[in-house]
Amino acid sequence: MFSFIVKRFGFLKDIPLFAVVFDSLMRLWMFFTKPELLDWIDELEENAIRMPGTTVGIHKYGGTQFNYRGREFAHIHSNGLLDILLNKDLKRSLITEGKIKDHHVFKNSGWISFYIDSKEDVSYASYLLNKAYDRARQKDNKEIYS
Amino acid sequence: MNFKETLNKLLNSKTVQGILIANIFALLVIGIQSALIPNENGTLVFSEFVIIPILMGMITAWFWKDMGIKGKQITGYSILNGLIAILMSFFFLGEGFICLLIVSPLIFGFIISGAFIGRAMFKKRNQTLNISVLSLLLGIFIVDSLSDHHHENMVSDEILINASPAEVWQHVVAFEPISQRENYWLFKIGMPSPMATTVSEHKLGANRKCIFSNGYIFDEKIVKFDINRNLVFDIIDQPKDPEIMGHIDIKRGEFILKDNGNGTTTLVGNSWYNLHVFPTWYYDLWAESVTRNVHFRVMEHIKFLSEQ
Repeated sequence: MFSFIVKRFGFLKDIPLFAVVFDSLMRLWMFFTKPELLDWIDELEENAIRMPGTTVGIHKYGGTQFNYRGREFAHIHSNGLLDILLNKDLKRSLITEGKIKDHHVFKNSGWISFYIDSKEDVSYASYLLNKAYDRARQKDNKEIYS
Repeated sequence: MNFKETLNKLLNSKTVQGILIANIFALLVIGIQSALIPNENGTLVFSEFVIIPILMGMITAWFWKDMGIKGKQITGYSILNGLIAILMSFFFLGEGFICLLIVSPLIFGFIISGAFIGRAMFKKRNQTLNISVLSLLLGIFIVDSLSDHHHENMVSDEILINASPAEVWQHVVAFEPISQRENYWLFKIGMPSPMATTVSEHKLGANRKCIFSNGYIFDEKIVKFDINRNLVFDIIDQPKDPEIMGHIDIKRGEFILKDNGNGTTTLVGNSWYNLHVFPTWYYDLWAESVTRNVHFRVMEHIKFLSEQ
């Protein structure tokens, strides 16, 4: 359903607030149909804000965005779709584990997608989030010292 | 704990304060707006369904900002906030159940969005940003409230009938009560659906009445009477009920009969309406869907009668 809407109506995402409201409606749906997913998203958010330099905001295409020193390194949509920015090498090695996929829109980028579908997925999502955080921190350090 | 203590505890809770103030704010804004900018058509503008819910969400976020509440709780409390707003629309604005059902995705969507935008905004502790966003939203609200709103649309549908135009014509001008069961979900849950049509005379200028399932009657006048070809009627009076019909004016209806030359007829049904609720990108979807289902209920019935 989500993929169908993104594919068919993705062009509407640039209308101000459209994607944010769509995500809110998904959140409303999940609240009644799969409330535990919202707990898992909260858990992930708590893990993220414990990482030094991390802030949480609203993603422009809906969902919760995770930033390191103001720069996005991941976001999660309210249907449990976690999008994470890695580098292409790391992405390749993680894809071989079979749990992650190319980003649902930007296939040929360092972005990956991972669906949180069960409680067990939260720890893997946190692991991915840590990887993305480390990458963001290293990149930031390089920029500072270069 | 006695009632007074419970009430005090509730009123001192930031969660309740947020929801309470958000709803009082919405009522006050709508009250002030209707007092200062009265409109005879009962037009409800975009801001009432978009800007006010966003601001309601932001108000709650302001009250909840130091409580450290999680996303799931924000969602739950925002749903409660929206439910109260919808209940208040029922009691204070006299809106009907189906109307509120239609409006609820907008209300919930924008209240939840407002709460999360507010949470992100207030975390930054940047007064300039807060004032800019609030001023922008209030600015849009004022401009939208003062602007003229007019939206007219036409919906057209057609159906193939295995009968000649002369046969079809007999059931187009007026028809016996529809006995088929409702198959459109809004009709099933109580939205009035067309039941029968009567006519004073079969000629130009005659009065026609379209009777709906709950007894509502649309008074119509035939303005074009081209036998076996074309019937046009203007709606001269329609019921003002609290459901969708209070927010839409059906202006004119038309039936076109096209002879296919093989014993079949293509029946085209057209309706013109003015919409009094905005944003049209949302409400026109509903208006078109309802009009289309009214068309098909009538046209399927005409087909059934003509093919007997």
